[in-house]
Amino acid sequence: MVVRQYNEELKYLEKINPYCWRIKKGFQPNMNVEGVFYVNGTLEKLMLDELRNACRPGMTGGFLPGVKQIANVAALPGIVGRSVGLPDVHSGYGFAIGNMAAFDMADPKSIVSPGGVGFDINCGVRLLRTNLSEKDVQPVKEQLAQSLFDHIPVGVGSKGIIPMNARDLEEALEMGMDWSLREGYVWAEDKEHCEEYGRMLNADPSKVSLRAKKRGLPQLGTLGAGNHYAEIQVVDEIYDKYAAGKMGIERLGQVCIMIHSGSRGFGHQVATDALVQMEKAMKRDQIETNDRQLACARINSTEGQDYLKAMAAAANFAWVNRSSMTFLTRQAFAKQFKMAPDDLDMHVIYDVSHNVAKAEEHVVDGKLKTLLVHRKGSTRAFPPHHPLIPVDYQLTGQPVLIGGTMGTCSYGRALSRAKSRRNIDYKEVLTKMENMGISIRVASPKLVMEESPESYKNVTDVVNTCHAAGISKKSVKLRPIAVIKG
Amino acid sequence: MDEEMGGLSEDDFEIPPVKYEYLDHTADVQLHAWGDSLKETFEQCGMAMFGYMTELDYVQIKEVHTIEATADDMMGLLYHFLDELLFLFSVEPFLICKKLEITEFNTEEFRIVCKCFGEEFQIGRHPQGTEVKAITYSAMQVIDEPKDNNQLTGNKQSEKTHIYWANGILISKSMISYLVFL
Repeated sequence: MVVRQYNEELKYLEKINPYCWRIKKGFQPNMNVEGVFYVNGTLEKLMLDELRNACRPGMTGGFLPGVKQIANVAALPGIVGRSVGLPDVHSGYGFAIGNMAAFDMADPKSIVSPGGVGFDINCGVRLLRTNLSEKDVQPVKEQLAQSLFDHIPVGVGSKGIIPMNARDLEEALEMGMDWSLREGYVWAEDKEHCEEYGRMLNADPSKVSLRAKKRGLPQLGTLGAGNHYAEIQVVDEIYDKYAAGKMGIERLGQVCIMIHSGSRGFGHQVATDALVQMEKAMKRDQIETNDRQLACARINSTEGQDYLKAMAAAANFAWVNRSSMTFLTRQAFAKQFKMAPDDLDMHVIYDVSHNVAKAEEHVVDGKLKTLLVHRKGSTRAFPPHHPLIPVDYQLTGQPVLIGGTMGTCSYGRALSRAKSRRNIDYKEVLTKMENMGISIRVASPKLVMEESPESYKNVTDVVNTCHAAGISKKSVKLRPIAVIKG
Repeated sequence: MDEEMGGLSEDDFEIPPVKYEYLDHTADVQLHAWGDSLKETFEQCGMAMFGYMTELDYVQIKEVHTIEATADDMMGLLYHFLDELLFLFSVEPFLICKKLEITEFNTEEFRIVCKCFGEEFQIGRHPQGTEVKAITYSAMQVIDEPKDNNQLTGNKQSEKTHIYWANGILISKSMISYLVFL
């Protein structure tokens, strides 16, 4: 990392408009392109404070601020356009979380980096709708929250309840949601409303280590811990009636369910295995990066291809995982309301990943190019008429799901875990949630503090910045009434 | 060895003192462990990881499993040691460890053999703590220089005072700090 005074660092940053900053070349060494990040006033302060802290004397041993990480990514071989930090951007492993970067697949020097996808491959959000109203759910809210908690395995050491053996896992890795459909866990139309139709075709289970498969098998169909959750939410505000209608959201108070989960230990092992391989490949191919955490390999190398195939298998694992929990959620609702999930209209509104790398066609400087797009903690937001979005959303554009945490609409860590645990009282958090009318079931009390609303950036800031910067348009606001967490 | 105690001897039930703590880090947690030797510090670091996943007071020693870890260097050895322990928890036998005892600690060939004492993790019996998803090298430090650190810290005896904060790294007698990626 280049060490300069904070004031010197600021010379490399330029505010282009109220919501967008440019990171000029030279901020970090060897930048091939410029960086850019989107923030509003509040988020801007957090971002710059992080940089200022890192500039304090004697802070060289700590972690890199997000803005430095965006610039380091801009120095990777084959990057095109800009290294982009989205409104929720914060420091992560190698790449910042909320970082998007695309690499020209026609350039033999272009790379793929596991750090650009994240350890939790295809961590994502799925939103289900129902035809229930808040008044239907309120009287049985506690029972429903408990039932969801009982149905969905959550937290450290929990095991999946959907029967699986090693052969089933192989098939699930290859087929993604097609496996869930074949086994009867999802509906055919669920696939239609899922990114990639819930199956990455380049998945190759033979490129996945036995270690990853062993870790994955007991965890399939589990929510996980940390910031993962299942929430019962109600429609709080409709900003765009037309777009909401296309999603089957008709009225205020309508009940939805949001599931935020990923590929569990399986994805982590795939990422870890790839990092080991790529460190070797970097030496062989003499790839230099600004940060050791940015381990990468050329897209066309054996290591690069093997990672992409294993990553696709992990992505499929995550879709099967969310599908299994969709099944369990439908079961819990069906039992509670003594109605079939079908009659409760429990359709998938959309399922979108925020940790993945995919080959996509985009226009760069007026030319159509095939790019390997890394998205980490950032979701795609395809416009109306894009060929890769389902027919139902052709006129509105792809729905973008931005999740909050612990009920309040909030996202992106502002306080560290340990600091949260010291400063925030467990009971206080629960009382506060209760006063807000939110039922909560959590496997670990510690987590209540770590993941409490105070620990996070306000998701409203994130959503409003996306809206103002023209990245996405606000259509519906959901307010949680019950939260299930690890 | 007493068969009735599952192949465990009486000594195996002795619980070592706690020589670790959890430090502040954005998004993740940083573990700091120390000991009189590097071997002890490694054991403590592993127990610190399990202590973050549950409350170890609730864990009983019912079975013992042996793991092996090898690497090319010291940091790699710590990484693989912890990774093997995490694996032992994540798959059969789903072992949550209360006590670790390194029986072979080879710092020339970078090889560890460790006996892991504990029981199968069971929801309901064991409180669910924070999930450790992967081990990373971020901010990992393995320090084995007792003399230098004594100078730095003025060789004070009390446990709190021999810890010293510098450059974002905690330095104590012989210590390890590492990051787990949550």
